[in-house]
Amino acid sequence: MQNWISTIAVAAVLSAAGASAALAETTVGLLLPKSGVFAALGAEIDDGFMFALEEAGRVDEFTIVREDTEVKPPVGLAKARKLVLQDKVDTIVGVVSSGVLGAMRDFVHQAEVPLIVANAGNDHATGKSCSPYIVRVSFSNSQINRPMGEWMYEQGIRKIYTLAPDYAAGHQMIDGFAETFTAAGGEIVGGEFTPFGQTNDFGPYLTTARATNPDGIFVFYAGGEAIRFVKQYGSFDIKADVPLYGSGFLTSPLYVGAEGDAAIGVKASLHYVPTLDTPENNAFVAAFKARFDRMPSEYAVQGYDSARLLLGAIDAGATDRASIAAALPKVAYTGPRGPLEIDPATNNVVQNIYIYDTVKDGDGLTQKVVGQVNGVRDAVNGCKL
Amino acid sequence: MFHQTPARSFTLAVVLAALVAYATFGGFFAREIVIEIAILAILAISLDFVAGFGGMVSLFHGAVMGLSAYGYSVLTAKFGIHPIPAAFAGIFLAASFGAAVAAIASRTSGIFFIMATLAFGQMLYTIIFKSRWLGGDDGMGGIPRFDASWIGLDFNDSLQFAIFAVFGIAVCYGIAALLLRSAFGRTMCGIHGNEPRMRALGVSTWKHKTAAFAISSAIAGVAGVFAAQHTQYISPELLFWTVSGEVLIVVILGGLGTLVGPVLGAAIFVLLKHEVGNYTDHWHIVVGLLLIVTVMAGGRGIYGQAEHWITGRSRKARESLNA
Amino acid sequence: MSDAAFWILQLLNALQYSMLLFLLSIGLTVIFGLLHFMNLAHGALYMMGAYIGISITSATGSFWAAFFLAPLAVTAIGAVLYFTLIRRLRNAGPMNQVLVTFGLIFVFLDIVRLGWGDIALGLDAPTALQGTTKFLSVSYPTYRFFIIGLGLVVMATLMTIVSRTQIGAMIRASVENDDMAAAMGINVGRLFFAVFCVGCALAGLAGVVAAPVFSATTGMGISILIPTLIVVVIGGLGSLQGAVVGSLIVGSIETIGAAVLPGVASILIYVLLAVILVVRPAGLIPARV
Repeated sequence: MQNWISTIAVAAVLSAAGASAALAETTVGLLLPKSGVFAALGAEIDDGFMFALEEAGRVDEFTIVREDTEVKPPVGLAKARKLVLQDKVDTIVGVVSSGVLGAMRDFVHQAEVPLIVANAGNDHATGKSCSPYIVRVSFSNSQINRPMGEWMYEQGIRKIYTLAPDYAAGHQMIDGFAETFTAAGGEIVGGEFTPFGQTNDFGPYLTTARATNPDGIFVFYAGGEAIRFVKQYGSFDIKADVPLYGSGFLTSPLYVGAEGDAAIGVKASLHYVPTLDTPENNAFVAAFKARFDRMPSEYAVQGYDSARLLLGAIDAGATDRASIAAALPKVAYTGPRGPLEIDPATNNVVQNIYIYDTVKDGDGLTQKVVGQVNGVRDAVNGCKL
Repeated sequence: MFHQTPARSFTLAVVLAALVAYATFGGFFAREIVIEIAILAILAISLDFVAGFGGMVSLFHGAVMGLSAYGYSVLTAKFGIHPIPAAFAGIFLAASFGAAVAAIASRTSGIFFIMATLAFGQMLYTIIFKSRWLGGDDGMGGIPRFDASWIGLDFNDSLQFAIFAVFGIAVCYGIAALLLRSAFGRTMCGIHGNEPRMRALGVSTWKHKTAAFAISSAIAGVAGVFAAQHTQYISPELLFWTVSGEVLIVVILGGLGTLVGPVLGAAIFVLLKHEVGNYTDHWHIVVGLLLIVTVMAGGRGIYGQAEHWITGRSRKARESLNA
Repeated sequence: MSDAAFWILQLLNALQYSMLLFLLSIGLTVIFGLLHFMNLAHGALYMMGAYIGISITSATGSFWAAFFLAPLAVTAIGAVLYFTLIRRLRNAGPMNQVLVTFGLIFVFLDIVRLGWGDIALGLDAPTALQGTTKFLSVSYPTYRFFIIGLGLVVMATLMTIVSRTQIGAMIRASVENDDMAAAMGINVGRLFFAVFCVGCALAGLAGVVAAPVFSATTGMGISILIPTLIVVVIGGLGSLQGAVVGSLIVGSIETIGAAVLPGVASILIYVLLAVILVVRPAGLIPARV
């Protein structure tokens, strides 16, 4: 990736040295973690974002300033201030962690700078603390999980034990699932929130979960914790008795390789799966693979769609902060994830949610879509735009 | 023993002047950096006060700072209390917590004392992280800055706030230096040097250690009030042990037990992180190597080493004069 | 599941976690006891063990190759550190040791990021140890039994060496008073180096053995540091028995806490640490009285 960035940089310098210097019309601040626990996600989003600009052949139109949030809220805020006040960016794109988003929220709102959220899923950001300047193209935590509750009930599952890390996102993911699952008639027989970032051994929790004799376990884990959880779940050999369900981050294409056979049969819901069989996605995956020699993850798609949204706003005539902020929610298109639009009531994305099974494919693992809920839209949740 | 030597006063004046100049002429991001340096520098002064002169190294100064920040934020943002009394309340909260931990842990020493402070700091972190009322890991926003319009200043302007923060370093340094030169400070150094002897002299070492931590924690509390006002948003990360670890690194890097060294260390650490970060995402390796080189080059920290060379040379000069 | 089965499983979980903590903390505590050196980079060596182990496994296709070679590779890293830094820092005071080893944590963190990337990696347990084994009417992952067995073997071996052999006597003498030991003709320098290498090898072993359970992340070296330090401090610095007792206490508290009082599990360990230090300011079984 580093090489690729320098290639782009060289290309940018060369083209700037040529006659096209005047082409850079929009300045974008890419605010992503480049170190710390979410560095891998930051790199994926960056790749996806640049890929969309390249694909459109419009890299030259943008000046991109990259800043590292270090996944620390004060650092993220300081960097956001720098991008807005010093670099005078027209829009900020990025933000992986909800903590950083929370720290920046008031500032971008007051500075009236459009922010395209490319990951952070905190429900409140497009709920009670929504802002006309904050547009989220990724997902909200409950959006991903609500369809799963109904789908699982339809599959005949009645009793579920839940597990998630003990932090805001963990609670919102589980709440989203539990809301629809219990409304459909299912029962949450128990659940635990594990200490975030300091749980190495899930053995005690798995043992407790099994003791409640549920029809299945529903969990949310991401990153290193997802790998750890799925592998430990696999080692206890309880797949037949207590199947595993979860938020799709659990078996994301980014981590499923490291999880290995333990991930087979885990069913999860997510807003994007690389094996979606649509013309838009097939073309996207083929081009992405040709470019990066790997499958795109949901994070890469979030970066890609952030750029698509921005390009759409510019094509609609937006030129500065105010007009970009006004144009962003009006952009709608069918992309790799399917039809995508921004809800004018909350500025959160409206999108399909896919339920997929992880299956063996030759030597590797792949995702098989087993369910789909179209146009999932969040409730207004106290948002006043 | 602490001496406010001319070299120290000069270094402090240069660092503070450089920070003010950088904030004034370095653009918007420079102000963010200067505020970040100021918060870290005040915290480093508070840690050096007990670690450098009292020999009590702690790994909970980040938690103490965070406690004060939360105290200030809860009172202002949740209860609408005026920022000035809220700041004093936050600082008092920090001082009480620091004193309580020191009183409980004063039987231990060395690594055991460090680990005891770590335990209490992490307890506080966990409690705040889990507290829904305090926003959990989502943190709290809507925190006001001081209203200084009565003296014609506007702290919502980042330059004025940055200069206010640099002023904060000067005040905290002054308080720490005055206390270290007082009988109290001399006694603390004496306890560090030889605790049984001080006890034999009739000093209640336990009370002294507790008081020293109360003072140190109050200064850390000042850093906390600045931190809360800087971002106007706080989250539990502020209390995590790695923050305390970073401050300890800054103190040792600058020169443990020199008081001005930690201020210099804070400036160097923050600037280095940002400068290296501009060129590579892998700034850790550069900072790590610098830490190693600093120790291998002499082991007194950056300021400590410079002072050692200067005083060494002047002593040599004196000796050659005498000869 | 019956109540008895539930508790047997949880006790096995506790034992398994305790053994991993033991493998990690024993090196740290003995190095401190003997060399008076607080090696905060011990966790980084554990991380290197995991990552090197994963690379060796994928290169050779054999977990067992990694099991034997990764600790050796980590020992080699440790030996380089010993001759370039650690030997010179023995008398430099604890603050300088903290600074240098903290610097090493930063350096190793980025070495891993540059060499293996930011994405967490997994490692499969060897085929022979996959699946579960029946024990007292419960099925438990075979690999976890292997960790328990390995920990007990290392524990017994070290105890025998320290209490029954001449080298053990030399180590005990040097922990008590290294100047006196040197005066009695013990080559203290060589002994220190040997013990340091064993400590590094055990950290590397812990890394490669833990990888199939915990997977490998760039943050693992820093996040394991605190539990390891807690084990060492609770047990008493520099003492083998202390490390045994400390790791059993910490492993049990964390596991049983997670099973019984999950709401407060994350704080229990710090409460325990504070209480023990207030009651016994030098840990439960200090090496020197």
